[in-house]
Amino acid sequence: MEQGSKKGRFGGSEAANGLLLISPTAIYATLLLAAPLFAVVVYSLMVDSKAGLAGGLTFQNYIEVWTGRIDRALMLRSLTVSAMVTLVTVLLAYPVAYFVSFHIRQDRKSLWLFLITIPFWTSYLIRVFLWKVILGYNGVINSGLMSLGIIGEPLTIINYSIGSMIMTLAHAYAAFAILPIFVSLEKIDRSLLEAGQDLGESKLRTFWRVTLPLSMPGVIAAVLIVFIPTIGDYVTPELIGGGKLPMIANRIEAVMLKQNDKALGSAIAMTAMAIVALVSVAFLLLNKRFLKGQK
Amino acid sequence: MTFSAEKPNMIEFRDVHKYYGDYHALRGINATIKAGEFFSLLGPSGCGKTTLLRTIAGFEDISSGVVLIDSKDMANVPANVRPTNMVFQSYAIFPHLTVEENVGFGLRKDPRSKDEKAKAVAEALEMVGLKGYGKRAAHALSGGQRQRVALARALILKPKVLLLDEPLSALDKKMREQMQVELIKLQRQVGITFILVTHDQEEALVMSDRIAVMFEGQIAQLADPETLYRRPASRKVADFIGTMNFAPAAVLSEDASGVEVDAQGFGRMTLSPDQVMGGATSEGNTIGLRPETLTILFDGQNATDREVFGTVEEVVYYGDMTYYDVRLDGAAEPLRLSMRNVPGRPVLDIGAKARLGWSPSAAVLFR
Repeated sequence: MEQGSKKGRFGGSEAANGLLLISPTAIYATLLLAAPLFAVVVYSLMVDSKAGLAGGLTFQNYIEVWTGRIDRALMLRSLTVSAMVTLVTVLLAYPVAYFVSFHIRQDRKSLWLFLITIPFWTSYLIRVFLWKVILGYNGVINSGLMSLGIIGEPLTIINYSIGSMIMTLAHAYAAFAILPIFVSLEKIDRSLLEAGQDLGESKLRTFWRVTLPLSMPGVIAAVLIVFIPTIGDYVTPELIGGGKLPMIANRIEAVMLKQNDKALGSAIAMTAMAIVALVSVAFLLLNKRFLKGQK
Repeated sequence: MTFSAEKPNMIEFRDVHKYYGDYHALRGINATIKAGEFFSLLGPSGCGKTTLLRTIAGFEDISSGVVLIDSKDMANVPANVRPTNMVFQSYAIFPHLTVEENVGFGLRKDPRSKDEKAKAVAEALEMVGLKGYGKRAAHALSGGQRQRVALARALILKPKVLLLDEPLSALDKKMREQMQVELIKLQRQVGITFILVTHDQEEALVMSDRIAVMFEGQIAQLADPETLYRRPASRKVADFIGTMNFAPAAVLSEDASGVEVDAQGFGRMTLSPDQVMGGATSEGNTIGLRPETLTILFDGQNATDREVFGTVEEVVYYGDMTYYDVRLDGAAEPLRLSMRNVPGRPVLDIGAKARLGWSPSAAVLFR
């Protein structure tokens, strides 16, 4: 390489080569992500009538969304469900990640991680149907309990409930939560745990004072990975909730396609996105605090 | 370096064995470490020295035998309640805490007030030369500073025994030598029993009151540095601690006053019983002489005891010292010897004839 000039292998400067390398992705992202997103933003500021989208820029749709009883209730339900799913998933994923990281022999760890991914070999839709078979009105649990004579008629609390939605989603996102927590636990220098005990703390206290804080970046990553997609989940409320417990995504679908009001639907979508962005930024800031002091 | 024997025992190993599956890591360790002693476990990697240290800390269970600390059996005593603290090889500084939070980590259960604890932390930092570093993030420290934090963090708890697992191996040479001196001073100041694990024989000789040399899970010799150097128990120990020249020897006669031998190249000599080592290893009879006990005699100098003749084969100039390889007339192996470079003393060239002065009193016989 000549001195003073940074020529890359394609002949241009390194910066130009970099741009060249990312350009297919960049073009793809621009056309298929940024452009539709921009369209949604524009839609949300227009008025949809029978005659089609029209009108100058107006916040009318947003005012309708933020003051509308249904939209607020559904947004709140979405937030509650995804917060509960996140909590349950991360709480259940942590012990699994901990077990694999601390109690499985080094050469068996990749096998364990592989086993954890097995449920993902079937599509999410099929797994949701399987949960429906288990939890449904005439499902495995209800018919089992009835044939044992424990209950007289099918329990309704286990089907079409928030609880069964949380269970289904928590199972669906388990591996996505286990992996980042596992990685952060793997990065912890094991002599730190011995040091904790050496300095007089029990194993439990050492976990509390050393392991947990050092694994927080993984926990926060898991929270984001679970929280962001579940808030916009569409399939689970439709199938497990039986359409009786719609979340914000179902509402957007109904407004966009059934009521054919693209402007209002876009405004709901933008609002949901803004809320997700807000929560994510809060967690990212939290993560920064925990990442401080770690390489 | 002298050590009075009246001091009480701090640590006792009684026939300690440790197996990892089929691997026999510790093979019957018997040793006693006195209170207030600076004790070193020295040996090549894989000899079991770190395992032995970790049995004191409570990080390794022993397969059989007894470990006593301050006359108490440590079986079933977990690491967090043992009266020991450790400076880890990696220092194990908590990366999510500041320097003072690291040093104060073990004070949670201390009944003192918050202010008194803060004062104790500040004093501990001052003791290791890190005054004013308390608020710094632990990850922003250099290797030497991390080690000082690890020391302060352990010593603030006033343990009966401080365990040091190769604490200097990650430092550069200058820093290492400086820390050796500081550790010796610190140990004298606090009076705590220090147990150091090291593979560096020079470090062990410089710092320790007594040293246990370990090979393959066993203690090969336990002695003070001078005995270890001048009277190594076996050829293996002699080879590990510095350099030694060996020459095959034939035993001519022996009685209570000593052994008369004929050593190849050196001739006949009589060695007193304390110069005769081993017998258990049956390495064949060999005499050993340290490089500095052989002296090149220049013109006009007379041997104080005996003389031998040879040819210079290699010269390595070290500034303050010159190392020579000299082959005695008719010998199979050249001898390594070291000469201090004093003003007016020439450095010989390769091929030069050399007259060497030596004394049988500096020799040892391995049987």
